[in-house]
Amino acid sequence: MERKKSFIKRYWLPLVLFIIALLLPALIPSFWVHVFTEILILGLFAIAFNLIFGYMGQLSFGQAAYYGIGAYTTGLLMVKANWPLIATLPVSMITAGIGALILGFFCVRLRGVYFSILTIAFGQLVFFIIFQWYSFTGGDNGLQGINPPDWLFSAVPYYYFTLIVVTIASIIIYFITESPFGYTMRAIRDNTERTEFIGINVQRYMLINFIISGMFCGLAGALWGPFNRSVAPDLCGWQHSGTPVFMAVMGGPHHFLGPMIGSVIFTFLNAFVTGFTEYWPLVSGIVIIFVVMLMPGGVFGVIKEKGYFKAKEPVSNGTNPVDKGRD
Amino acid sequence: MNNSVILKTEHLSKSFFKYQVLTDVNYELKKGEIAAIIGPNGAGKTTFFNLITGYHTVSGGHVFFRGQEITNWQRHKIARIGITRAFQISNIYPKLTTYENVRQSILAQQKRTLNLLTPAEKMAKQETLELLEVTGLANLKDTEAGILSQGDKKKLELALALACKPALLLLDEPTAGMSSEETHETMELVKRLNKEVGLTILFTEHDISVIFGYAEKLSVLHQGILVAEGTPEEVRQNKEAQACYLGEEI
Repeated sequence: MERKKSFIKRYWLPLVLFIIALLLPALIPSFWVHVFTEILILGLFAIAFNLIFGYMGQLSFGQAAYYGIGAYTTGLLMVKANWPLIATLPVSMITAGIGALILGFFCVRLRGVYFSILTIAFGQLVFFIIFQWYSFTGGDNGLQGINPPDWLFSAVPYYYFTLIVVTIASIIIYFITESPFGYTMRAIRDNTERTEFIGINVQRYMLINFIISGMFCGLAGALWGPFNRSVAPDLCGWQHSGTPVFMAVMGGPHHFLGPMIGSVIFTFLNAFVTGFTEYWPLVSGIVIIFVVMLMPGGVFGVIKEKGYFKAKEPVSNGTNPVDKGRD
Repeated sequence: MNNSVILKTEHLSKSFFKYQVLTDVNYELKKGEIAAIIGPNGAGKTTFFNLITGYHTVSGGHVFFRGQEITNWQRHKIARIGITRAFQISNIYPKLTTYENVRQSILAQQKRTLNLLTPAEKMAKQETLELLEVTGLANLKDTEAGILSQGDKKKLELALALACKPALLLLDEPTAGMSSEETHETMELVKRLNKEVGLTILFTEHDISVIFGYAEKLSVLHQGILVAEGTPEEVRQNKEAQACYLGEEI
């Protein structure tokens, strides 16, 4: 009983969000079910990206490459080889993971802005390969006819399918962030130098994290293709790489659910604003400026600052001369 | 090489562009010794530590640990074979709690950091609490390390180094920023580890009472050159050492 109580106390927020997500299709029209499916897919993309940004402390501007690799793997397998959707998901994760291994091998040798620039460069490399390779990827025409099976064809079943996949993936990612490996990522973020001096091969760990992130970005991409019935090279472009960055910044990169909340705000706003004006990027730009200027830690940062999550006061054991002087 | 020698440097030199920071340092440290390197600011003490631990690349000469050459090895490899250091300016994980800081170092030593699916909070509980107790940080275990007082950060710095279970511990001004009471406690802990576990310790320090109270062997660095070496009494009598560091009142 006590264990159950502490479980609910600890995980009440994701539980509430999950229950709301379960009930949503009964309460909203199918257009908004589509929007919430998109929120889930992009939310997974942002959570996977945040393994690098929020937990490892490096900004990748090229995660769309792995999202795109996942999307194209599913698309190609379904269109050209008639694979069932479910079988394509793990394969998409593997191909995206292999892509992240090859490109990440070089990226993890750099830090800060140099890391970011190299991730953009490699992201664009993947974009141009897909863009130019007409015979295989369809080039700038993309791939059409990526139809999910009949039982997932309409909006609501596909929404629930996405909800299940995204929930399972998020739980796995959450476990990873709470594992010794996840804490090693926080350690690398906080103090790379010290982490080397406690005997950890920082580059190797960063590469493993880069691969894990790439795999889940690939899974998000794999869900996107059948949802949208098509894939296009834009999915791999640098602009699309910016999407999870915005989401993580908006929601709060230092909370596990921050990127998902960011996805809710970003995608919902997108769907809402494009009903009134074609200048969605202008609106998103203003929102980003607002968030960065007024809410530097995102939504969760503000909640924490307001004391919702109890802030820790400076504490000392009182034996220091400085502290003694306070009396 | 004598088996009891744990650390040895031969003609160790370091220059940054045209500035020679360390010149031709030949140094030996025996297993189980507690030794200090002293010298005025800028003498090259921290650089000496930086070369041993792979923080800087060596410009000339060699470093040996237990008879094996480790010159210019990667930092994590040097830490893995048993050399750990505590930094002069505390070098901790500011966003993690004191407990999480120490646990991270213990899990790294136990080679369990590649575990992806077991919650870290269930691991190494006992060891972490014990080490926090030993280093006097138990009552601060849930405090974010970044907001600890300077003295407590130095204790945590020492705890991170001890968690690695090193054979050789390098302490760069371990008591800087501590009260006299804390300084005494910390150095007593270091001495106890030296006596009970046989941990070899090399430290730098400016506090004369700490140097002469705890070191069995002293080496004096001046402008990057090792000018004197011996027991504290021998160094106290050494004219060169007096001239460049200790002053006449010692």
